Amino acid sequence: MKRRLFVASSLASLGLSACGPIKDSLTNGPFRSVVFSAERLNQSVIGTHGMAREYTDADVDREFRLDSLDTPSDATYTGLLKSGFRDYRLVIDGLAERPQKLTLAELRAAGDRTQITRHDCVEGWSAIVKWRGVPLATVVAMAQPKPAARYVIFHCFDRDQNGQPYYESLGLHQAAHPQTVLALDLNDKPIDPAHGAPVRLHVATQLGYKSAKWVSRIELVASLAGTFGGTGGYWEDQGYEWYAGI
Amino acid sequence: MVGERVYRHGVTARTAHWLWALALLVLVMSGLQVFNADPYLDASDKSDPHKRVLGFTAAMQNGEPIGMTTIFGVTFNTTHFLGYTDDGMGAESERAFPAWVTFPGTQDLADGRRWHFFFAWALFVAFVAYLISAALRGTLREMILRPSDLPKLVPMQLYYLRLRRDPPPHGTYNPLQKVAYTVVLFVLFPLLIITGLALSPGVDAAFPWLTVILGGRQFARTWHFTLMALLLVYFATHLILVLTTGMWNNIRSMITGWYTLKEHDGVGP
Repeated sequence: MKRRLFVASSLASLGLSACGPIKDSLTNGPFRSVVFSAERLNQSVIGTHGMAREYTDADVDREFRLDSLDTPSDATYTGLLKSGFRDYRLVIDGLAERPQKLTLAELRAAGDRTQITRHDCVEGWSAIVKWRGVPLATVVAMAQPKPAARYVIFHCFDRDQNGQPYYESLGLHQAAHPQTVLALDLNDKPIDPAHGAPVRLHVATQLGYKSAKWVSRIELVASLAGTFGGTGGYWEDQGYEWYAGI
Repeated sequence: MVGERVYRHGVTARTAHWLWALALLVLVMSGLQVFNADPYLDASDKSDPHKRVLGFTAAMQNGEPIGMTTIFGVTFNTTHFLGYTDDGMGAESERAFPAWVTFPGTQDLADGRRWHFFFAWALFVAFVAYLISAALRGTLREMILRPSDLPKLVPMQLYYLRLRRDPPPHGTYNPLQKVAYTVVLFVLFPLLIITGLALSPGVDAAFPWLTVILGGRQFARTWHFTLMALLLVYFATHLILVLTTGMWNNIRSMITGWYTLKEHDGVGP
């Protein structure tokens, strides 16, 4: 019996030491695309249904954790910030019958929705935050998407250390969800620069990386393929799922 | 009866068994990869350090980095094993679980998530297919604990502890095996799937009561991790018993289906 256990434990330790190379060949091998196909299954089974739970003021985290690229420090953004975003215009263009350029005042006037929802980060943590802004559906409708439009791309002011801009995207169905909002206020105050001033997206039914900060332009497109890495987002281009409902 | 060869495991059961073994290995390792991205467990809905159950961090002590594990407020130095560990690139860094137990080995949340979800589907499909097949073949009945097994639990445990000469008479599986299989099939597997789904914001929007009954989303994460740990306890026990109660006979039966009856082995429910 002891000999058997010795053989078994020797095999086990041999297996562990061989694990590194085995793991490398698995993660980069042809099986990779099979593994990645689970995303389509997740999206078709879970999708975007129902309404995210809404909370009360008592549940709100007053200090909302920062976990994103750094606050933009380029001349365009700092210039806008200094003038209190007086010259900020949210551009909605692409496959639109009526492209828009909206001031913050026009955006506020377009719609008003307040929601206290849980923000779940892909890393694992959750926070409860109060958002106030305009339902994205309202703004998209103002631009009158052409029939060919299937996605909305969010272009943002922030860039990583390599100069790669942040961007995100949603399908029109996800964009139409009532809890998908272009937020202007965070916890009863205009969003501060670090949290995405003056306009950030909040997608209550998906993970936090979909909720792009510092949105400058919304582009209606037929396909995600032509933009940056082609997978529909900054993190998506680095291997994260486009469907972040899981 | 002793020495007789019986066909014990059908092809669906054997396929499901080995698929579970593979899927659970990848799920545990990729799960630890995902966990490493935010190595804290809270008994709450939103993240709350005041309701922390388990946490891993690294810190400096006398100029040396150390890894620390905090369970219910009690901190242990776990340098090299937990908190400050092998990063899979030939060095050590702040990392809850070391590279050799995570998949992928190096820090890679995106890939870890994708492998986790793929094998979660594989496990789910194999689990449902097995339950249907085993119910139709009647083998599920042999595994489920029934009231008449309850008085046999203590005698069976005494037999394992060598305080009793013979085990109580039983069918294909002894009463303690039935407890283990019943708990794994009808408690651990379903709860692992449910608590995992509760971590998905999309699922939570469709079924908002799910996180409520589990005590919140972070609590669901804590349950998911705890159930994984319980499954590992089952796995260790399973492995020891396979190795010590006729290893080749046991392993062969899960490959070919044919099992040679030993002394005390019964057949049927």
